[in-house]
Amino acid sequence: MTAEAPRESDGHRRFVTTVVEVEGREETKVVELPVSEPEPWGEDARLTVVGRPIPRVDAAEKVTGRARYTADIVRPRMLHAAIVRATIPAGTISEIDVTGAMAAPGVVDAITLEDIPRIRIDGNTLFDRTVKYVGQPVAAVCAETWQAALAAAEIVRVTIERAAHVATFADAIAADAPLVRRSGNVSRSSPSIMERGNVERGLSEADVIVRGAYRTPPALHTAMEPHGAVAEWEGVGDRLTLWESTQGVFRVRDEVATGLGLSRSRVRVIKEHMGGGFGAKNSAGAHTFIAAILARRTGRAVRCVVDRYGEQVDTGHRPESRIHLTLGARRDGTLTAIVADSQVTMGVGGWEASPTAIMHELYGCENVKTTDVYAWVHSQAMDSFRAPGHVEGAFALERGMDTLARALSIDPLRLRLSNVPGRDQEKGRPYSSDRLRECLVEGARRFGWPGWEAPAGLQDSEMRAGDAVGDGMVREVVAGGGIVEAGGGRRLRGIGMAAQVWGAGGGPPAYATIKLNSDGTADVLSGTQDLGTGTRTVLAQIAAESLGSRFEDVRVVLGDTERTPYAGNSWGSMTIASVGPAVRMAGEEVRRRLCEAAAEMLECRPGDLSARGSVISTRDGTRHLTFADVTGKLGNVMIMGHGSRGPNRRDVGLVTAGAQFAEVEVDAETGQVRVIRIVAVHDAGRIINPLLAQSQLEGGIIQGLGLALFEERIIDRATGVPLNPGMHDYKVPTSKDVPMIDATCLPVTDPQANHIGARGLAEPPIIPTAPAIANAVANATGAAVDELPLTPRRVLHAIRSTYA
Amino acid sequence: MRIPVRFELNGHAVEVEVAPDRTLLDLLRDTMGETGTKEGCREGECGACTVVVDGRAVNSCLFPAPEIDGTRVLTIEGLSCDHGRLSRVQQAFLDASGTQCGFCTPGMVMTAVAFLAENPAPMDTEIREALTGNLCRCTGYVQIVEAIQLAARRSRDPQA
Ligand code: FES
Ligand code: FES
Repeated sequence: MTAEAPRESDGHRRFVTTVVEVEGREETKVVELPVSEPEPWGEDARLTVVGRPIPRVDAAEKVTGRARYTADIVRPRMLHAAIVRATIPAGTISEIDVTGAMAAPGVVDAITLEDIPRIRIDGNTLFDRTVKYVGQPVAAVCAETWQAALAAAEIVRVTIERAAHVATFADAIAADAPLVRRSGNVSRSSPSIMERGNVERGLSEADVIVRGAYRTPPALHTAMEPHGAVAEWEGVGDRLTLWESTQGVFRVRDEVATGLGLSRSRVRVIKEHMGGGFGAKNSAGAHTFIAAILARRTGRAVRCVVDRYGEQVDTGHRPESRIHLTLGARRDGTLTAIVADSQVTMGVGGWEASPTAIMHELYGCENVKTTDVYAWVHSQAMDSFRAPGHVEGAFALERGMDTLARALSIDPLRLRLSNVPGRDQEKGRPYSSDRLRECLVEGARRFGWPGWEAPAGLQDSEMRAGDAVGDGMVREVVAGGGIVEAGGGRRLRGIGMAAQVWGAGGGPPAYATIKLNSDGTADVLSGTQDLGTGTRTVLAQIAAESLGSRFEDVRVVLGDTERTPYAGNSWGSMTIASVGPAVRMAGEEVRRRLCEAAAEMLECRPGDLSARGSVISTRDGTRHLTFADVTGKLGNVMIMGHGSRGPNRRDVGLVTAGAQFAEVEVDAETGQVRVIRIVAVHDAGRIINPLLAQSQLEGGIIQGLGLALFEERIIDRATGVPLNPGMHDYKVPTSKDVPMIDATCLPVTDPQANHIGARGLAEPPIIPTAPAIANAVANATGAAVDELPLTPRRVLHAIRSTYA
Repeated sequence: MRIPVRFELNGHAVEVEVAPDRTLLDLLRDTMGETGTKEGCREGECGACTVVVDGRAVNSCLFPAPEIDGTRVLTIEGLSCDHGRLSRVQQAFLDASGTQCGFCTPGMVMTAVAFLAENPAPMDTEIREALTGNLCRCTGYVQIVEAIQLAARRSRDPQA
């Protein structure tokens, strides 16, 4: 019997070993195979709730201020904790003196390394005596008020014997560099090489070879809500409840249980609402352990919310990448070789999100070789940030493709079209849904890419927010590096495009339970979480569809390790594709049982009944019972359904693909870039809620625009100190930076991916935005802009060095 | 030292004592227990803490609490009336999907309320200008601008 072969265990459940993909990483897991999964909702499925643009179920709470976030949780006699942080990047702590802080008004307790168990976060020890970055937590205090805690944290005296630090990749790999980790400054998996075919042969077959060097900046998630936790122990300190702003309640539970030496069931993690995560809130952090430990010591609830400075210097970042890329192609544009070398500046920890993985996926090419090197430096750890790796790699690859197009005198869009892979090249299998070409063509039509006619009237009627471009301004676009002068001054117009793939197929394990209440409404329970993405709403739609109930009759309860069945982290754009099928399965089971009960009451066969809008009807439409009629008659007999996510098929690849097109205006005198419009077309399978999908697309595009134009965490190389640790200096896009956005998803479904036909959409839209904008700037100026963000200084420099 | 202040909060007279170093945000969230107003930065950059003081949208995290004496303060809690009916701006944010995670939403809504009182028939560019002090990391601002435009249209024509 092979590992893949299912084994009957109890007649109902079967367990199989399978491979689950998360953010480009693959994990082998034992998962449960549902006894039977519902037939997929195909193209022709007649769905009445799924697919509707229903406003968010929790919007009323949010617009009234009643939605509770972690900082809004108040417990009786609750204390507030503040974190003391290192102010220099490297050294050894010789003394921490908390006596002054302890004597300050309202202060209750203080902790340092001696007071806590050994807790590892991102491969580093909490409160370590060895200082490795500015912002590293070294102690914490708690007090009756947050203000008192913050004031006390300021007067904790920390003496650090300073050591030499390394701030950049080059510094880290220098011969006599001070060590960030004892094992060395280069991560153990470096160099990480991935190869297919033979790139030497590929290059020798090329008619044209282009080379480029690209750089993407360190970027900060900057969620509006900082990280935070509230901890409270029950009884005599043996059961811990944590309210945490997290993308993964079960993961936080497991990490806290491990760190504090508790069994998992003694830790309950609850997440109600959170103010965004974007990858930074996947794990328990210093604040989590600090809240839990101080709460145990003081016997009182403790809230530890990170302040904005702490948020910007110590909660993860997208690491800086430098990529050297060589592309070889035949005269007709066919790629013959892709060679890429990347250097990633990780900070003190994090995981290796390959910036070159996308080189193996996005375009068809037989010969691909990539080499990644990850270095540790004295700055805050890397953490997943919306499409980690792919965002960085897409910038290099898509800038490279434009350079190649220029060298070959081929239209950049045609170059991409002629290299659409059509299959999962790494695994040698087809895609469940192969629509990159469709996204490219549809995007080109909507954008009006030269040579690709937009259907009459489409641009004006479907383009959103039509006031971003001055009225009557001629939209003149040229391909292949022309320069257009528009309006007064030296304002250059340009267009550019880029494409995207991202594995967003979801997978097991994920569970949902649905219980029917005696008033005929249903509660959906699942241990997943809604980051602001719309999970609650979308799962309610799936539940209502499968139950045959009204949308309003479904309530979704998420994110509670004690009360909801397991679901994994909300990461890798996998939530809906993972949890959605489990919810549907549970809903189908409840409907089946409800129909059985109704059949008894109507004296017919269950098969003669159907449910819609919370009403059960006989086929001939003559007799009806509402859900409430049935549950009312059942009294306290409870109908419940259980659903689980089965494994993905191994014979198809699951990716979300897309293409974006940008038009920009560049002021040739100041270097200022203004994005005028973005057209985005993505294929994420079935869209459960187009209104919320729109939010995801626009939000991703604007984060991509931030990365393209403004966002860069800067650390002073000489001192190792972050220079822009606040929202004043670290610029995220504002309402004024928003261009016209025409973003859409293909109206399709993907029944091969799973039985609801949906894949993920959270990360994909950020991937092509920055390269599309950069390609447009290059098109406008004729200059190579290969380093993000495209600040006026960089753009001017590029223009000057091109025309000097 | 504690300073007595009297002001009107969401239509109700309030009398409290505040420490001189506290902000209006501290007063609302900690003293009054009104947590609808959010704290995103405490440095006057994000706008999550926006409330309306005497008709003007302000960052409550920068507003010294003692100076609230004698003013009229409107917060997100004061917008919807008792029976849970949403105010026009709130309803528009709900209908137009002007909220994702919702953390910026109370501040956005309060900025919109003060802005629409001054400019009931705005152009999109004016809305964008008015919102520059309110950051949102989830949405692309597009649906927020649409929500405010929808609220403005409905105030002229309730059927809109
Ligand atoms: S909390 Fe006041 S502006 Fe950010
Ligand atoms: S909705 Fe999340 S910050 Fe605006």
